[in-house]
Amino acid sequence: MHIKKAVITAAAQGQRTLPMQTLIDEQGADRSVLSLIIQEAVRAGIDEICVVVWPGDQESYSKLAGNTAGRLRFVEQAEPRGYGHAVYCARNFTGSDPFLHLVGDHIYVGAGGRGCAQQLVEVAAAQDCAVSAVQITRENLLPYYGAVGGQRVGSGIYRIDTVIEKPTPTEAEQSLVVPGLRSGQYLCFYGMHVLTTAVMDILDERLNDGANGRITLSSALAELARREQYLALVQAGRRFDVGVKYGLLYAQLAIALAGHDRDQVLSHLLEVVAERQSGAAA
Amino acid sequence: MSQLVAIITSPDPAVRNRPLDAFCRAASAADLLAECADLERLRRTSNNLYERVRALFFLYAIHRFHLPQKEGVASRALIPFHGYEHLLKRRYEEAISIFAAAQTSDGPSEPLSSALSAAYRGLAFQTLADQVRRSVRSVRGNQWMFRTGHPADYPIRIRPELLKREPGGPFPILHEATPVRMDLTHSGWSDIFFLGMDYPEAARVLNVSIDLAVRGSGNGAPKPPVEAYFRVIDRPVLRLVSVDLEASAEIEDLDVLFDFGRDYLGLLKAAVIASGIIPPGMEGSGQPLAAVLEQLTGKPGHGIEIVSHVNDIPKGSRLAVSTNLLACLIAACMRATRQAQSLTGQLDERERRIVAARAILGEWLGGSGGGWQDSGGVWPGIKVIEGVRASESDIEFGVSRGRLLPDHRILGRDEVSAETRVKLQDSLVLVHGGMAQDVGPILEMVTEKYLLRSEAEWTGREEACTILDHIVGLLRTGNVQGIGEATQRNFEGPIQTIIPWASNLYTETLIERVRTEFQQDFWGFWMLGGMSGGGMGFVFAPHRKTEAQHRLQIIMRDAKRKLEGGVPFAMEPVVYDFAINERGTWAELLTGRDAGMPPGYYNLVLPAVLRKETRMLSESERSDLQQFSATQTPDRIQGFFERLLPRQQNDGGRGESLDSLLAEFGFDPATHDQIQSDLRSGRIGLAQNRLPVSTRIEDVSHDEVFDAADAGRYRSLGEDALAQGAVAVVSLAGGAGSRWTHGAGVVKALNPFCRLKGRHRSFIEVHLAKSQRTSTRYGTDVPHIITTSYMTHDPVERFLCEERNYGYPGPLYLSPGRTVGLRLIPMTRDLRFAWEEMPQQMLDAQAQKVRDSSRAALIGWAQSMGEGSNYTDNLPLQCLHPVGHWYEIPNLFRNGVLEKLLEARPALRYLMVHNIDTMGVDLDPGILGYHIDSGRAMSVEVITRKIEDRGGGLARVDGHMRLIEGMALPREEAEFDLSYYNSNTFWIDIDALLSLFDISRADLANHDRVTQAVRAMANRMPAYMTLKDVKKRWGKGHEDIYPVTQFEKLWVDMTALTEITCNFIAVPRARGQQLKEVAQLDGWLRDGSAAYVEARM
Repeated sequence: MHIKKAVITAAAQGQRTLPMQTLIDEQGADRSVLSLIIQEAVRAGIDEICVVVWPGDQESYSKLAGNTAGRLRFVEQAEPRGYGHAVYCARNFTGSDPFLHLVGDHIYVGAGGRGCAQQLVEVAAAQDCAVSAVQITRENLLPYYGAVGGQRVGSGIYRIDTVIEKPTPTEAEQSLVVPGLRSGQYLCFYGMHVLTTAVMDILDERLNDGANGRITLSSALAELARREQYLALVQAGRRFDVGVKYGLLYAQLAIALAGHDRDQVLSHLLEVVAERQSGAAA
Repeated sequence: MSQLVAIITSPDPAVRNRPLDAFCRAASAADLLAECADLERLRRTSNNLYERVRALFFLYAIHRFHLPQKEGVASRALIPFHGYEHLLKRRYEEAISIFAAAQTSDGPSEPLSSALSAAYRGLAFQTLADQVRRSVRSVRGNQWMFRTGHPADYPIRIRPELLKREPGGPFPILHEATPVRMDLTHSGWSDIFFLGMDYPEAARVLNVSIDLAVRGSGNGAPKPPVEAYFRVIDRPVLRLVSVDLEASAEIEDLDVLFDFGRDYLGLLKAAVIASGIIPPGMEGSGQPLAAVLEQLTGKPGHGIEIVSHVNDIPKGSRLAVSTNLLACLIAACMRATRQAQSLTGQLDERERRIVAARAILGEWLGGSGGGWQDSGGVWPGIKVIEGVRASESDIEFGVSRGRLLPDHRILGRDEVSAETRVKLQDSLVLVHGGMAQDVGPILEMVTEKYLLRSEAEWTGREEACTILDHIVGLLRTGNVQGIGEATQRNFEGPIQTIIPWASNLYTETLIERVRTEFQQDFWGFWMLGGMSGGGMGFVFAPHRKTEAQHRLQIIMRDAKRKLEGGVPFAMEPVVYDFAINERGTWAELLTGRDAGMPPGYYNLVLPAVLRKETRMLSESERSDLQQFSATQTPDRIQGFFERLLPRQQNDGGRGESLDSLLAEFGFDPATHDQIQSDLRSGRIGLAQNRLPVSTRIEDVSHDEVFDAADAGRYRSLGEDALAQGAVAVVSLAGGAGSRWTHGAGVVKALNPFCRLKGRHRSFIEVHLAKSQRTSTRYGTDVPHIITTSYMTHDPVERFLCEERNYGYPGPLYLSPGRTVGLRLIPMTRDLRFAWEEMPQQMLDAQAQKVRDSSRAALIGWAQSMGEGSNYTDNLPLQCLHPVGHWYEIPNLFRNGVLEKLLEARPALRYLMVHNIDTMGVDLDPGILGYHIDSGRAMSVEVITRKIEDRGGGLARVDGHMRLIEGMALPREEAEFDLSYYNSNTFWIDIDALLSLFDISRADLANHDRVTQAVRAMANRMPAYMTLKDVKKRWGKGHEDIYPVTQFEKLWVDMTALTEITCNFIAVPRARGQQLKEVAQLDGWLRDGSAAYVEARM
């Protein structure tokens, strides 16, 4: 399996401006969230990238792409039918190829030298199947993520047999406990997947079965696990949802503390904390 | 609505239990394809386990047995290789999608149906296994173990009683002793998990806990056969010791604990994990074992030791020794860690149920898989074990009709009196017949037939249920003679109706001889466990029991000697003494001077302790030495010293024997040395068998192959030749049949593999019967030649002599082999090539893990033995190998058989050469006539390829039409572009063949000339390096299988010679298919192939 295409979703209402936010990268340069996400994909060997946008957003996103603009295609999600539908909008772009999928409001800071997406693409290519990045997550965070259950098949790799979107702790305990994790810990999606064409087929079935509701990606992934081998890769890096309160700030701090200006940022932070402490003591 | 979907989903049992076969017989291909589409939809959309699995089995059976028989279904098509790859990786859904898409585009065909049936069957069993795994994990009492992945979450602590010791004294030892179980009846294998969970009302087993002793072993009265010992030690390790397997390990790393296949301690490891001492959730957690042990013992630097001991009971006893040992170990571990209230004595019912649930978990972890009632030895006495309908409070509710765990109802003295129990003991003779068998395929067949509701089998199942009630009634009235009659009826009726393979010639020989000898005092036969031949029971009038025990030993020994040439035996048969155990598993705490390990333990462990410096000994080790010196008898001490200072092994006799065999059977040391040197240097090997990648491999077209269906017009030509005595049959029987016996070293040709025309018959007997029929029909005796090798000649000769050639009146010749090879320790690169680069059938995740670790151990074995060295570490005959069937035809020239035959039959012109396992082949006059008419040197029979036909086929190789061996194909996928498979049946013109070897009939008397001609031709044939399995037997019925390297030359490569003229003839599958594995037999019987053979006998 060769993965040369990526799909980035950025059409969700209320989150359309998030990819345009600006951060300072590890080298100290100004970068938009979108360009950081594109960089993650490019490091994974991706040649062509499709960004799914709300009608009219294409122009503003194009300007953010910088020197990667040549790799970009845009498709519009004309109606808000859910996350699954957003991915489905890229079906003509992906055609019969597997693709890397990233969300437009998450930033990833890898734990090792290689990027998170790169590791994911390598596993997908070796195993010849869909792979989702997951992270070990405490049960109090279950309401925020899709979670998976399955069997361990290798170091950090699980064969997924169950996918539940935002499970309750009861559901999680019944269906999502995986060996090797501590009590109350589960594997939750990391916002990064390598998907096969079967996902587009499933989304197509769901969208054309007469129902008009919103289609989640997790429900399609649950079906994918029934139809094909589908793996989860545990990621040691960190993801930052820039759409939540202080999300952008935390992301910026993580990038800065991993970059050239680490000492400067750290000493400044300590200074702020010390001043507050001494102020409080006075 | 689809009729089959209606059958599956009906709430009415009368509809739901309708058989699939009845519908399919009348349906057309179009009807069946429409039903398949509906079943496919059902199995994808239904949330009900039973519906999904039954739909999958229906789909499997339609494609395996019914669709290929229908008009309009093509016999020839290509199977997509990518789908096959998915099948091997157990990615069944993807395989089904690919095969179904091919069927849609190319139309229905036998090859695609074979691929779809394999995928549906695999998916059905995977679905069942997944459900059992989920249920095992979810059973109350097991759940927490999967959530514990860190020492900080670890909740288990050792009981304080086990941590108390006198200064300098030993830690106390917890000793657990457990009986094994025997089934009076299992109601048609109703203890298979899925049957119990789907049809709990019919899942019932009558089960007795027993103590055992091997009669004549000098070990005294029967006692619980399995024992476990548990104690704390002052080292931060987990020490596991199996006394009977003579294996021990000090484990310091969690990964080693979860590595089940690396040594003989897999069962102990599974017990440690399933008991919760190291919970399964810890796997892959990367946590240090010492930290867990510290939490467990509460003492830094301490660990635990667990010892298992089986008292002289051989493997394959059908008494669930391994499951009960697992349960015994788990019980000890649970008591020691306060997971059971009772430290000593019996367990209470709640505790027994948890032990049983965890034994099931342990079986799954270890990749084995015992039955639902196998841990019955944990319970006392006689009990009925019954499936239970899942209620709302059960975790199975809504998923399956029944619970995973059955209920155990102990039959008290009020139901089965003390007198009846004594009578049962006084009448039953328990034996181990010595046969080595794998029950796994039988359990799969039972599940499949249950879901298909095949008419006869379903009736058999219903009858089996009534027999259990009958036996319980007889127990109540104390009628042991009636019990013998009922178990015999059960064996002859329902058991063999459901699974004919539960019986075999050996068992039937024993029953017949016992009946002849004991007449009315033999009350009945009793099959223990999954199949007969290993553990079995014979019921006698009590006054003749002692005599019967004595006689059975002799009868079994004689029957084994008669059959062992063709039937794999793992050990000499034994007779047991037994007693009903009325207390179930039982524990006691051994303290102070009584805290001793079982005999044999110290021999195993103390030599390493003695090699340490005294100051380095731990307190526990010192106290072990004291314990040993205080309690050992002079005999035991002598045994210990022999172990400590082993005498030099005297293998001179064996070495000489191997040398003499090599000399006797035509071993060529110069060729061997060349092969050995080439193998070591990498010039030859598995990867080098392949033709260059630039080789063009193309399929042949339909019109390049003669269709045997058109052979009718040549019939009279063939009939004339048969009447004139112009044809002889050559059955190739020199091979080892490794896949049939898994390297057991018996003669496949003599294996009484199937009941045909009323009795079990061997391969040879079937072929002779066909020749006899031809002889009778054409009024001329057909000469029949059976080729043999060093391994097969003597047993075949002896057998034919004893059986008087099975009544064959015609000339019968044995053609002994003239060449033999010496097996080699494999090269690591070849093992890796075979296991890592060639497509492999993956196993279920846990079983695959065990296989992977065994393979790692085998690579270590090859390295330690010396890669490419001579393989001599086995019985001498197991170290030799036949050198391929190419030699078996020129051997006819060299050993004088052809010369003799031509002298006796100057009119002889043609040979039909076939594999011993090509059961349907016969002297078809039409095909013979075609061969004669063509005037060509050789005609080759081929069949259209199905998914199971692996190993090359008919191709154009760089433009030349020929057979190509699978090992020679430059790429795996090339085979899937070939639509014809080699049946290995050749019609040969004798004179043309001799001419090809550059000799004539007259030259056959000139030994040197013939030898030179054969050598010259052999040099033109490629030698393939192969890996074969060879069994090494040891201990009490234990077997290890090793891969060894050998070489072979194959007759198919004669078709590559440009000077030979060949025809290729497409024959029906029933004629051309080969029986390579025992697991094929049931399908072969059911798909009409066996009937095809019977019609030609």
